[in-house]
Amino acid sequence: MSRVAGGDADALGELYDHYGRVVFGLIYRMLGSPESAEEVAQNAFHSVWRQANAYRPERGSVRTWLLAIARNAAIDWRRSKGNRVGRETVIDETLMLVDERRVEDTVITNLRAQRVRAAVASLPPEQREVLSLAFWSGLSQTEIASRTGAPLGTVKSRVRLGMARLREWLGDDEVQR
Amino acid sequence: MTRHPIDNLAALAIGALDADEARAVRAHVAGCQSCGAELRALEEAAFAVVATAERDVPDGLRSKIVERARREGVPRQAPSSPLFDLFRRPAPLAIPVALALLLLVSLAAYAGARRDADRYASALAGIAGARVVALAPTGEVAGVRGSLVIPATGAAPYLILDLPAAPSGKTWEAWVLRALESPLAAGITNERGVTTLVLTAPLASGDGVAVTLEPSGGVDRVTGNPVLAGKT
Repeated sequence: MSRVAGGDADALGELYDHYGRVVFGLIYRMLGSPESAEEVAQNAFHSVWRQANAYRPERGSVRTWLLAIARNAAIDWRRSKGNRVGRETVIDETLMLVDERRVEDTVITNLRAQRVRAAVASLPPEQREVLSLAFWSGLSQTEIASRTGAPLGTVKSRVRLGMARLREWLGDDEVQR
Repeated sequence: MTRHPIDNLAALAIGALDADEARAVRAHVAGCQSCGAELRALEEAAFAVVATAERDVPDGLRSKIVERARREGVPRQAPSSPLFDLFRRPAPLAIPVALALLLLVSLAAYAGARRDADRYASALAGIAGARVVALAPTGEVAGVRGSLVIPATGAAPYLILDLPAAPSGKTWEAWVLRALESPLAAGITNERGVTTLVLTAPLASGDGVAVTLEPSGGVDRVTGNPVLAGKT
């Protein structure tokens, strides 16, 4: 990141080599359109380029920072295009997580991803729903409460319990690998 | 904060906390090893989930990104004002509520006391059917005042400003501030005293607005420190 902050465009390219597939995949999943995802991914890396000197390692990893930028870029793009696109995406993505058989073949199918998806699929539906809305629709807990009609406290507890279970399962998975 | 925000760490890890909560939790985590370790573990799990969406990238995307960066050259440091720092962070952030409240109280008191004689206060008092947001003077330039007016009709938002004469070779320039993006140039004025400036950049809920002194004619990328700033 220090090379990027210093104006080394090749270092930005290396960052892209490392995280480009995840960034593009996240944005694609959030927006549902390859053309939009390409445009927004480009904008996200451009934001990284311009804000590299604002990155603080003590606040978190590069990938967490990068994914936050990508996520916010997708949210901003969706807002700029109106809510209609967002609502359609929410419905689609919620269904995709509820029914694993609908996961597209083009989504990465390596063993690790399958294990993670299996862990997500094993969550209670109400926890899966709030996590899906957070991950793939970029909604905050408050927005999820408003969207689903569930009390905010309930949403918070579902997020907390769902992530705790994923952390536990995926932590075990790490040990087994 | 002495109480560990355990309940909010998962939401922070997946970006689902509202901005104010996220800021408070981050402030705690910065000084708490156990919460920091917990957050990192949750971020690992969150990354694992996000990584399931990983997919092949379009041909040429890498070169577009790298070439664009090359064209722009070395990223410039944004002004050192903490107001700009707020909008450079990944998560959407707001100007502290206390500051906003202080501004509103100050503005209300000011307008009430000088309504008859003060053109600025009169201009504000004449606004109907619009949301008015007071802009905070940063102390960079003395005697500046400003408010953002967002008409309920959907018409373009505008600023009511009370400014001293810009120094020779300089102009006042308005900016729209958005998290993760560079400030958007939103119009210039060379007027002295009370004036109206319609924002030429789109303004969305949660965006910030600032006014800086820039070279005559205005610039596309901000160079000066904000003299006024506020948030929608």
